[in-house]
Amino acid sequence: MPYGLGMELKRTSDVTWEILPTGGMRVPGRVFASEPLLVKAREDRAVQQVANVAHLPGIVEASMAMPDIHWGYGFPIGGVAATDIAAGGVVSPGGVGFDICCGVRLLASSYTVEDFEARRNEIMAELDARIPRGLGKGAIASRGLVTDVLTKGARAVLDAGYGWEDDLERCEERGTSPGADPKAISQKALDRGGGQLGSLGAGNHFLEIQLVDRIEDATAAEVFGLATGMVVVMIHCGSRGLGHQTCTDQLRLMGAAMGRHGISVPDRQLACVPVRSAEGEEYLGAMAAAANFAWANRHVLAHEARGAFATAFGTKRERTGMRLVFDVAHNLAKLEHHDVAGRRRELCVHRKGATRAFGPGHPDLPEDLRPVGQPVLIPGSMGTASWVLAGTGANPAFDSAAHGAGRLMSRKAAKRQESGQEVRRGLEAEGISVRPGSVKLLSEEAPYAYKDVDEVVDVCHRAGLATKVARLVPIGVVKG
Amino acid sequence: MTQGGSEAPGGAAGIYRELMSGSFTVLAHTADTAIEVSADSLAELFEWAAVGMFSLMYDLDSLAPAHQVDVVVAASDVAELLVDLLAELLYVSEANDLVPCTFHVEALTPVEARIRVGATPMEAAALEGPPIKAVTYHDLSVTELPDGRWSARVVFDV
Repeated sequence: MPYGLGMELKRTSDVTWEILPTGGMRVPGRVFASEPLLVKAREDRAVQQVANVAHLPGIVEASMAMPDIHWGYGFPIGGVAATDIAAGGVVSPGGVGFDICCGVRLLASSYTVEDFEARRNEIMAELDARIPRGLGKGAIASRGLVTDVLTKGARAVLDAGYGWEDDLERCEERGTSPGADPKAISQKALDRGGGQLGSLGAGNHFLEIQLVDRIEDATAAEVFGLATGMVVVMIHCGSRGLGHQTCTDQLRLMGAAMGRHGISVPDRQLACVPVRSAEGEEYLGAMAAAANFAWANRHVLAHEARGAFATAFGTKRERTGMRLVFDVAHNLAKLEHHDVAGRRRELCVHRKGATRAFGPGHPDLPEDLRPVGQPVLIPGSMGTASWVLAGTGANPAFDSAAHGAGRLMSRKAAKRQESGQEVRRGLEAEGISVRPGSVKLLSEEAPYAYKDVDEVVDVCHRAGLATKVARLVPIGVVKG
Repeated sequence: MTQGGSEAPGGAAGIYRELMSGSFTVLAHTADTAIEVSADSLAELFEWAAVGMFSLMYDLDSLAPAHQVDVVVAASDVAELLVDLLAELLYVSEANDLVPCTFHVEALTPVEARIRVGATPMEAAALEGPPIKAVTYHDLSVTELPDGRWSARVVFDV
């Protein structure tokens, strides 16, 4: 079907589109999208980026993109690529991104919307005071914990008194990425991000209070601990300056190393080396250490959110019912085993703006989640909805699903449409309290700047990437 | 140096859309942000690229430098050198809670640069745009034009 930019796409099902291999592409490209979502993706270079990723040495099956695909740098946002390690498969820092282990954490609660309304102002004021956000604006936890955090992740901050023991069971990797090499984290990365443990950052990162609007799968919702009318808290952020600097450092090293391994790629941002090489192992060690910072960061922020609710309701954290539903990353490369052409292989699965989505029975899931699969958290834009889905047994994308609504409009274009104040007034008129670090920045993150999250989730469901469990709508937003 | 002055560079080609004029132009990118810079010399190109990057986050004209920092970077080619310089400036800013607001190239070859940076404390500067996480190599170009002027394009992760 000839959508712009000369890249030919063949529709292979209701929601899958294939880019046939040309030139140096080692495998086809495969985009999971409805026709309207694909038309949007073809307005910029996202589809070309899917084709570029197909050049990576060792890539298997297809270079894939999730329904929230949009133009990134190197990889498209929403890109999934798996390489066969034994066949010289590569790891590419661009397939993870600068915000290593950026992800989403969802907390349940024992509160209803009536409880929230009775304490709305107190809760928002507590969160406003407690959640550091913006650039260089402090942190909840001390820099002294960082050394331990790089190795142990969420476990390190749990041991320091943040959060609850059973939180770790409900966290991808149990909150600790294996194989972390703190020595691969530069002094610069520590200088830049060491003082940011327990902080949101800015841009599209947020802490939202949401209401469970609708349950689509009662069995899974019950296992996840969600019910209609429940107040929940969603946190979206990553590894802050420490991760950004780590990726910057590693990309620089990898650019030089690529030549030594005889690799060339169509975009310098796709720099890569074999997983089984000194540089590949160093990157994965550094990435895991930065990921550990991100798990710990979200863990500390969740602790503070519980503290805000406890103070507002005049109770203790333990009595808020704010159990962790799940914490999942959407910017990581992971070594996983998958079947490819009927054979079990060890793959390096890159998810750049894509969520891991293990199906029912997966051995890495905690026992209570195994009957229904992993919770998959897909945040929308402020003012629209977010979703909880469940992993499926026959995921066609190396156990991956979408990670968000996906941007529709550039930041500059969004800014032109309405001012930050206008966006804030619009949200407040819809009953959504907003506590921005900067009112001006709100306009770039306005709801109209994003695609329709319901459409993205619908495609995930129809494509078998993950199935719908619960729809969440925002009632309070804390942003950088 | 201040913003404004020379014309926006031509050839904000293809699917990029021009949105702002000056010696640097902000280009629209769906998720991230890019700038196109043009200048009479390579040294000015580097200075304008730095102005362009920090102007995405701050109103530089409203800031007065209170600190001086010298930054030295080396790389294997001129495009990589520009990325390294901008990345180093992001590091200097975030690690020291400073906003670099004036830039003067002290020495420059295609593989090495020494820049004198004037900076103001971050607490004195209001964020005008989302913080830049990093400088990417995606769609990167540094080009000497037939008339001897220079142009560059850089995409940032925000």
